Amino acid sequence: MSTPSFIHGNHAVADGAIAAGCRFYAGYPITPSSEIAEILSERLPQVGGVFVQMEDEIASMAAIIGASLGGLKAATATSGPGFSLMQENLGFAVVSEIPCVVINVQRVGPSTGMPTKAAQGDVMQARWGTHGDHPIIALSPSSVQECFNLAVRAFNLSEQFRTPVILLMDGLVSALREKIEVPDPEELTVVSRTKPTVPPEEYKPYAFTRGGVAPLPAFGDGYRFHVTGLLHDEHGYPTEDPAVVSAWWEHMHTKIGNHLDKILDWDEVELDDAEAALVAYGGTARSAAHAVTLAREEGLRLGMLKVRTIWPFPEEAVRRLAAQVERIVVPEMNYGQIRLEVERLSAGRAAVTGVNRADGLPITPEQILAAVRNRE
Amino acid sequence: MTITLPYLATWQMLMDVLARVVTLRGDRELPIILSSLPELPERELGGPPVSFIHGPPGRNIAVAIGLRAARPHTPLLLIMNADGVTLGTNHLIHAARRNIGMTLLLLRSEVTEATERQPLDRLRWGAPGYQQSIEPMATPLEWATALQSALVGRGSLLDPDGLAALINEALETPGFSMIGVTAGANLKLGVLSRTQWPEYFTAYREWVASFVKLAREGGAGKAPSPKPVRAVPRYETLIAGVGGQGIKLAGTILSEAAGLCEGLWATHRGEYGSATRGGPSRVDVVFGSDPITYPGADRPDALIVLSQGAANRYAPLIKPNAHVVADPEPVSQMPPGALPVPIIQLAREYTGRPIAAGVVSLGCVAALSGIISLDCLRQSAARHVPRKALEKNLAALEAGYAATREALKGSSVEGDVR
Repeated sequence: MSTPSFIHGNHAVADGAIAAGCRFYAGYPITPSSEIAEILSERLPQVGGVFVQMEDEIASMAAIIGASLGGLKAATATSGPGFSLMQENLGFAVVSEIPCVVINVQRVGPSTGMPTKAAQGDVMQARWGTHGDHPIIALSPSSVQECFNLAVRAFNLSEQFRTPVILLMDGLVSALREKIEVPDPEELTVVSRTKPTVPPEEYKPYAFTRGGVAPLPAFGDGYRFHVTGLLHDEHGYPTEDPAVVSAWWEHMHTKIGNHLDKILDWDEVELDDAEAALVAYGGTARSAAHAVTLAREEGLRLGMLKVRTIWPFPEEAVRRLAAQVERIVVPEMNYGQIRLEVERLSAGRAAVTGVNRADGLPITPEQILAAVRNRE
Repeated sequence: MTITLPYLATWQMLMDVLARVVTLRGDRELPIILSSLPELPERELGGPPVSFIHGPPGRNIAVAIGLRAARPHTPLLLIMNADGVTLGTNHLIHAARRNIGMTLLLLRSEVTEATERQPLDRLRWGAPGYQQSIEPMATPLEWATALQSALVGRGSLLDPDGLAALINEALETPGFSMIGVTAGANLKLGVLSRTQWPEYFTAYREWVASFVKLAREGGAGKAPSPKPVRAVPRYETLIAGVGGQGIKLAGTILSEAAGLCEGLWATHRGEYGSATRGGPSRVDVVFGSDPITYPGADRPDALIVLSQGAANRYAPLIKPNAHVVADPEPVSQMPPGALPVPIIQLAREYTGRPIAAGVVSLGCVAALSGIISLDCLRQSAARHVPRKALEKNLAALEAGYAATREALKGSSVEGDVR
């Protein structure tokens, strides 16, 4: 059984967070993400959780790290200006392998930009915003239902792989209201971090098990260990030993890279006979889907690869696509961030172009269709 | 007295103090230590086994806030030097003013680096040159006192038992404590100030426990029993006018009537910042029996215009054979083929308020589309219109419906009227 409700994307994210077991939220409200904080400030106390409005986004990110170490599933939500402030501590969560979810509802930037207007300009920031050659997971919902589903999945992936996960929304989806089916709790897959079972003296909080992650006890639950932003050995003690540091890097990259089958997530729409394809994500994927419908009515063989897990990027799917279709159009509310990935993976096999705008208005299906037709 | 402390010796003294704290605590829970200083060399020195967070400079205070929320009873001991009152000042102020449970040891510069004797409630961190010459020194213990910290005190590494006892007292004190740590012995040590008030998360949990648990599911999103599924092609509705005409609310009511009551898929595109009174306002509602892809009504099947600007801008976009309803009061130059319905006049007549124009417009949509029933609009309106105004609004809704049907009769374009 599931319950239909009619809500906006931010509301669905808040509901998804609660359903996934989020019990701590620290944040500083910012348009267009504020409803997430507003709703969780009411919902978290009702389920025994804690909501704290912090002094800034640096503190918000730090606080969710502390809460997660203390054993709570934790999240914060923000938009571009706050996401920039979070990068420092986001890196700390990456290096110390602390599960947490960062929701970024993208608006037009840089800086304060256009606070109420939707954009998709933070795609590369989500990938590389914090310094160092780190792995990351980022998910991009294109419907209110996906806002709920991917919020749950963001927590699940962060718990499973001990990593921050970025829920990369945009102002189109966050403010869109539509019907969703909220699954009953017993139908929902909820993943929680594993706890160590070995005696405390044998516990390695950062064990370099090739491709896996160490269990994580709640800090203070008898397993005493070090958590540090310095590169460290399997016990969490800082090290500059090149052999250990190399092993650490291998651990960091394999814990995500060896599990792409569990992390990557995309839809193939009308691709079977497609001669041209769109690669789209987030709110723009809605326009792209409609463009496919309109194109098919005109007899154009257009399909779409809709990307939900945006980082890591579905490289093999795009390589296959580039081998199949003659050209690929990438509509984005930025000046071509994912297009760079698609071009790289196409390696010249398909012609890649973009439909790009960052003026606060959504890309229309007609605009996309025009770009497709122009190449006929 | 001037003393010289080699770096390692200072840490040895601090580790010795922490070992004494561990002894003092006996069976009580040991603190988690948070520090951004070069990691306590506990492995090398064989100090007390503790859980240790070596976080980014200054940020540990904020990390501790989250940790405190998750671990209401685990003592938290922060060891900081300049980072606590530079990068960390904002966090420090808010942790202190909220009385969040943690004990902050603020190491004076001679503990970590310098050897110079200074007034104990002041902090220098060894900055060379003008900073020491022209800037007044930071006075964090005075800040902490001004912020009514639960406990503010001083201790010296030269008095390890006294410092350990002070730390232990702070750990046992609910709320925010700050202890200045020096390597001197010539200034007043011990508790400097105390304020008794509830620890933040203790107070939070008590406050939350008194909540009446409102089941949010019972609110606006709750579905009435949907009708059986029927085939309805994608139908784009655009209502456009100016802020203050109730257009946003109309979108909410219409989209829920379609999505929840009529059992269709529906979208209601939200926009921020465009609903100021008098400024242009529009709402896009798209529905149909297949999931809605693009939520924009770029090519409306039903267009309701409540301003001349909206009429000029959107009327040319309608689908062939689609209807435009225009209110002749604000729209003096009617678009070709537009049905005149006195929407604002009906709103005033039935509710006394022009803001009900949006609800009247929904009557127009019901008449034009033949898809969304008045009954579903009534149910949906009942969830969003304040109870006092509901009856009048429902009358206005029906008036809009009747007036549109009447207008359709005189129109060359056939409406699908039920």
